[in-house]
Amino acid sequence: MALQVRWLIPIGAGAASIAHVACATQYMSVAQAQRAAFPDASAFVVTTPTLDAATLESIDAPAGWMPQVWQARNGDKLLGWLMVDRVIGKSELITYALALDSGGAVIALDVLDYRESHGGEIRLSAWRRQFEGKTATDPVKLNHDIKNISGATLSCRHVTQGVHRLLLLYDHVLRAG
Amino acid sequence: MLRVPLTLAVAACLALASPATRADEASLKAEVDALRAEVAALKSEVEQMHAQQVAPAPRVVETPPQAPATVATGNESTPAPASASASTGSAFGNTSLWGYGQLDYNRPTARPGDARADLTRAVIGFNHQFNETTRVYGELEWEHAIASAEDAGESEVEQLYIEHALGPQLGVRAGLMLVPIGLVNEHHEPTNFYGVERNFVETAIIPSTWREGGFAAYGSTDSGFNWNLGLTTGSDLGKWDPTSDEGRLSPLGSIHQELQLANAHDPSVFAGLNWQGVPGLNIGAAVVTGKIGQATSRQTGGDANFPANDSRLVLGEVHSRWQTGPFDFAALYTRGEISDTRDLNLSFLGQPTPVPKAFWGGYVQGAWRALEWNESRLMPFVRYERFNTGAEYASQPQGLGTPALPTQRVWTVGANYYLNPNVVFKIDYQDFGYDDALLNYGNRFDLGIGFEF
Repeated sequence: MALQVRWLIPIGAGAASIAHVACATQYMSVAQAQRAAFPDASAFVVTTPTLDAATLESIDAPAGWMPQVWQARNGDKLLGWLMVDRVIGKSELITYALALDSGGAVIALDVLDYRESHGGEIRLSAWRRQFEGKTATDPVKLNHDIKNISGATLSCRHVTQGVHRLLLLYDHVLRAG
Repeated sequence: MLRVPLTLAVAACLALASPATRADEASLKAEVDALRAEVAALKSEVEQMHAQQVAPAPRVVETPPQAPATVATGNESTPAPASASASTGSAFGNTSLWGYGQLDYNRPTARPGDARADLTRAVIGFNHQFNETTRVYGELEWEHAIASAEDAGESEVEQLYIEHALGPQLGVRAGLMLVPIGLVNEHHEPTNFYGVERNFVETAIIPSTWREGGFAAYGSTDSGFNWNLGLTTGSDLGKWDPTSDEGRLSPLGSIHQELQLANAHDPSVFAGLNWQGVPGLNIGAAVVTGKIGQATSRQTGGDANFPANDSRLVLGEVHSRWQTGPFDFAALYTRGEISDTRDLNLSFLGQPTPVPKAFWGGYVQGAWRALEWNESRLMPFVRYERFNTGAEYASQPQGLGTPALPTQRVWTVGANYYLNPNVVFKIDYQDFGYDDALLNYGNRFDLGIGFEF
């Protein structure tokens, strides 16, 4: 895994919130998700995992897959990871953020953008809280350890698959790095 | 002899070149000095930034969302095409396509000669995003394979509406839209229901797929409620055909208008509320009401003596679905009433199908994930339904009244086999309380194929 400090611009807590123009389908910005999951972080360091073909295969990810990953740090201390990825619900992309603690357990799942006409119930905190504490050793599978929302099955299934893939990314790549 | 001038020329050139070389060296030195200064400045900046990194104030190092990272099509995730729009996230720029299909085989056990295979539905849907807040959503459907003047098939626009988000949890729709009632009407894809055919209650009493044209608002709360309110076209009692069996098969199915040159004198309203605050659980209710006479007596070419201009429909429904572990339970009850039908039915005297005053139905259903391997799963299920499309008729003068229809009871036992979450093969057996060949009631064996993408 290559860790790259691309830039470290002190944006400041207030300034970060204006980095995103609010729109009707955006429920949370990346910056808001970062601060909500890691209120004690002093920096979020952009991380680019090395994802060769063998690694992608090992985590059941397609060629070209590359989520956005940040290390949450407080000085030299690693607090955890924040990953942003997208999946399709029924026909539109859903952008979500997954926060893991330094041991790879889910702190929070947040839906950043939702564009479908139906199925937006995955934004419900009661549904998203099911993922808290999950690790790569859990099934993280719909209708097993993650319950479905009637009428939003496709969104539920695809976000659940996406979270499972990110947990495998942590387990196979980030943890070793 | 020639060597002397050549030597002189070389010497002259060297003499001339020497000052130029010295000038280049000076320039190079200046350049190196400038670079040294620049590196020193950069070094200082980096040191400054390192110092800030350990400062106590939280800071965010952020890159804007980049090209789509993951696209799940169907059950599998695949990379998003390079053309994917960052603003809408669609896999085809601002427009995305989806669809589903259903093929059925029904074999009545007592009337094997009536066995029938049908391409029940082929559907293409689209969603075009004008901008972040406004889209058009459509569903085009072909039923029974071939639609022409000589064939039984139909070509339909099932949904076509503009949707505009007013905020993260509030939006409005305008156009032809599905009525948000029951468990099947809005989620009628074959992968979403158990059994080859949709259940009887949500076809005979709630005429799935029920759509109306008009305006609606919808919203949700963080506590798990979502709601819908609509002002739409309604059914048209003027279309009731007392000589046909359709009104006994599905009272509302025989008079809903589907926005086909719909008589729109009398609007209807709908209201729906669902609560999904506990994962896996859905509890909801809906009501649809409106006058359905549509001023038939005042229509050009209408029945001037039509006696039910003020007739009103009220249809209410409650439902619940609980998906927990390998189990999937559902229950639904619905009841409809049509007022002011007495005089209309008198005018239908002697005809087989008067207008019911009341009709109702309910079912309970349980499914179980019995087997699962890779993406495949086998879901046996059982469903018990009771319904009556003519539970009560308006009272008539002595001797002219219409007796209520017998309540039908249907047990359905079968299984959905999902090859993957988007492709399903179905088998079931249905046991009816009584036979009625005209209404297609009778024990039968069904096979089905369905898919959705």
